[in-house]
Amino acid sequence: MGRLDAVYDWFDERTAVRSLVRKGLYEAVPKRGAWFYTLGSATLVLILLQLVTGIFLTLVYVPSVTEGWASLNYLKQHDAFGSIVRGIHLWSAYILLFVIGLHMVRTFFSGSYKRPRELNWVTGVGLFLLVLVMAITGAFLPWDQAAYWTAVVVTNVPAYTPFIGSFIRALWRGGDFVGPITLSRTFGIHVWLIPAILFPLILAHLALLRKHGEFGSYVNYRGAYRSREGVDVPPVPPQRPIEPPYPAVPTDELWAAPLETEDFFPFQTFKDGLVSVVLVIVVFLLAVAIGAPLEPIADPSTTSYTPVPEWFFLPLDELLLLVPQQLIPLALIVPAGGVLLLLALPFIDRGPERNPFERPAVMVPGGFAVLFVIILTLLGSGRLFNL
Amino acid sequence: MNALALIAPLLERLAGELPATAPQGHNIVGAQIAIGSLFSIHILIAGLVSGAGELGPAIEFLGFMRQRRGYDRLAHGLGRFITYYFSFSSTIAILLITVLLVGFWGHFWTTIVTIAWWPLFIEAWTFVLQVSLAYIWYYTWDPLRGFKGLHMAIGGLLAIASFLQVYMIDVVASYMLTPTTPQNPIRLVLNATSYPLTVHRTVGNLAYIGFVIGAFCAIRFVRAKTVQDKAFYDWAGSFGLLWGISMTLLQPIVGYSYAKEIQLHAYGSWYKMMLGTLSPVFLWQITLLGLMFLTATIYFARRLRTNGARGAGLLKVMAVGLVLTTLLAAQPYHLGFTYAAVASAGLDRPFWEGGLINPLGSMIPWKVLALMSYTLIAIAAVVWYLRGLPGVVWGAARRGEQRLLMLMAVLTILMMVTMGFIRENSRAPFLISGEMTIQGQQNVQPTVSPSPSGGG
Repeated sequence: MGRLDAVYDWFDERTAVRSLVRKGLYEAVPKRGAWFYTLGSATLVLILLQLVTGIFLTLVYVPSVTEGWASLNYLKQHDAFGSIVRGIHLWSAYILLFVIGLHMVRTFFSGSYKRPRELNWVTGVGLFLLVLVMAITGAFLPWDQAAYWTAVVVTNVPAYTPFIGSFIRALWRGGDFVGPITLSRTFGIHVWLIPAILFPLILAHLALLRKHGEFGSYVNYRGAYRSREGVDVPPVPPQRPIEPPYPAVPTDELWAAPLETEDFFPFQTFKDGLVSVVLVIVVFLLAVAIGAPLEPIADPSTTSYTPVPEWFFLPLDELLLLVPQQLIPLALIVPAGGVLLLLALPFIDRGPERNPFERPAVMVPGGFAVLFVIILTLLGSGRLFNL
Repeated sequence: MNALALIAPLLERLAGELPATAPQGHNIVGAQIAIGSLFSIHILIAGLVSGAGELGPAIEFLGFMRQRRGYDRLAHGLGRFITYYFSFSSTIAILLITVLLVGFWGHFWTTIVTIAWWPLFIEAWTFVLQVSLAYIWYYTWDPLRGFKGLHMAIGGLLAIASFLQVYMIDVVASYMLTPTTPQNPIRLVLNATSYPLTVHRTVGNLAYIGFVIGAFCAIRFVRAKTVQDKAFYDWAGSFGLLWGISMTLLQPIVGYSYAKEIQLHAYGSWYKMMLGTLSPVFLWQITLLGLMFLTATIYFARRLRTNGARGAGLLKVMAVGLVLTTLLAAQPYHLGFTYAAVASAGLDRPFWEGGLINPLGSMIPWKVLALMSYTLIAIAAVVWYLRGLPGVVWGAARRGEQRLLMLMAVLTILMMVTMGFIRENSRAPFLISGEMTIQGQQNVQPTVSPSPSGGG
């Protein structure tokens, strides 16, 4: 027995680390379509990258209207490494939004939110919304022109909430106008409040995932259900005995066990690792090549500056631009209703069918929602180029 | 010989009476009518071909995923349609360009080709790409049955080529309304109305082909002799309508955005559409949109009721909602031909105060509310119909439903012609907004080159 093994045994005796590792790594996961399942782990890796680079940035950044911009400008002008770290923070946030969106679309298409995984979906939607809030609040912090005008527009959105809207806006802004208190409160929300909710929710999401197992896609269960033409197809026996968590909860027996599985380690972990490494490399290259922009310091008195929204805010921004002022509260019901429907999805679509092409009553409205977001983004994208 | 002797003097007389060159400057209205009507026919056919080039491959993919033969038959039919009608559409396009545009508006054509050279160059090649892919896609249907993935990939390329073709011509059309600095091709491609017009037309073409499928299948359903054919045409007609209306319900927001860009970048055109001479036509357009949503919802309700499927009752309620919304949308704002006429007569006040203004017809908030209501009710109608579809037995439809499918295609054609009329006339008297008028560019007279030999 080597010295390292002895140390490992010593730890195992006191912490049961061996069984924890075994439990964590050796689990059956659906075999087909496994590359699509890498989106979840990629999301986690990008969130962790946010955490690490965020910690580094808090060592330099001062949340004040006089020092905030100057501290980041110092990084830009005099600290090449710090500048790259800030670039990684920005680009990993952008890519995180894209990846988490894809992860949700994949889950929606595959019907993975159905019983018994309803709470996986609900926590996932919560995580998506929290990441969006992180991105929006993060956009205020550089306190350059773009940040200031983003703050003006975004802090005004809650004001359209009936009855308490003005109160929420005043609470966030720290008064009637965007200013020093807005920045310090937003900084607090960005680095403390949201992470304090985000990380426990990630743990809950992962715990639920381990409990119920990865559903994967209906293709993993093909043949295990009655075909549409009315011919009963006998279930194909699995390649090897399915271990927990399959079958999960015996409420959904036709769908509980995928036809082909493989071990989480090394098969799935290899794919997860590869995708995550590629994404991190892409983030690094973007951070080096493009970096994080920093416009001139915020000047509320300017009349010549044309604000351009962050790309992920573009659909909502375009909606606010299109709708006349007096109808904005009505128009905001659409995204608010969309979020509520998203949360309620597993409780609305409760049938056993998982095939996206056999669930038109859910897929078509979902497709509309995605199309509306794409169209609003496209319509607003002309302003990004500012030609 | 006798016949020739008879015809020769006639030809000679005709030659003496015909103008030596294109009849420029003599009858501008006549030229406009000729070009406008031929363009309308071209767009009506080209829109179908483009829509079919995008929808056909999508239907084939759906059929593959759902393993239903009906989709494959429908997609194959669309392939046949493209191969038949591509040449017809192209003939009209070539006639338009080589004869009418160059002959009547040569100055304009030379200018626009010079400015939009790259988009038109790409456009020309997308035609080659589209027709090549369309023929390959159609004629390899059976040979590639064992390689469906490859066949669907060819279809995907056809869809991309069809989209690119529409996009490139939209760059030119949008430039004519909202011109930018012509020296920069990127600015040209990203001119203010380029995106909204492209989205508007792409979605519109997809909706249009859906409604035409519905009408075509309705006719075939009525004539069908076998149970299988009746079931197929009943299903395909419903599919076409469902697809068409699903695309159309995106149009209020896209169209509104397009109008907003026109307001910001071509105010004169916007004013003419909203308050000027084109405002009655615009009112007809928004009413027509309501009639389209209403017709589709009535079809949904009737089709579900025929088989006693669930949801027909609620769809009837939605139809009532659409009637009320259409009545709201159809309210005129100024009770005179133009707002300027009302204002100059000193009657710019509500009608209950003796004026000619109807506040219920204002764009903000009433027409915007009507557009929101159209969209939301139509989404609900589509979802409710989809929920009820498992209870439908295909082939059992009645003639009433088929008439509604045919009516839908008529309404769509009316809508497309109306939109084209509004868009083209909103620029008048300009061909390129603020830069070139119809009258101003007809002063080009060809000069006769001297013969190289120097003699006659």
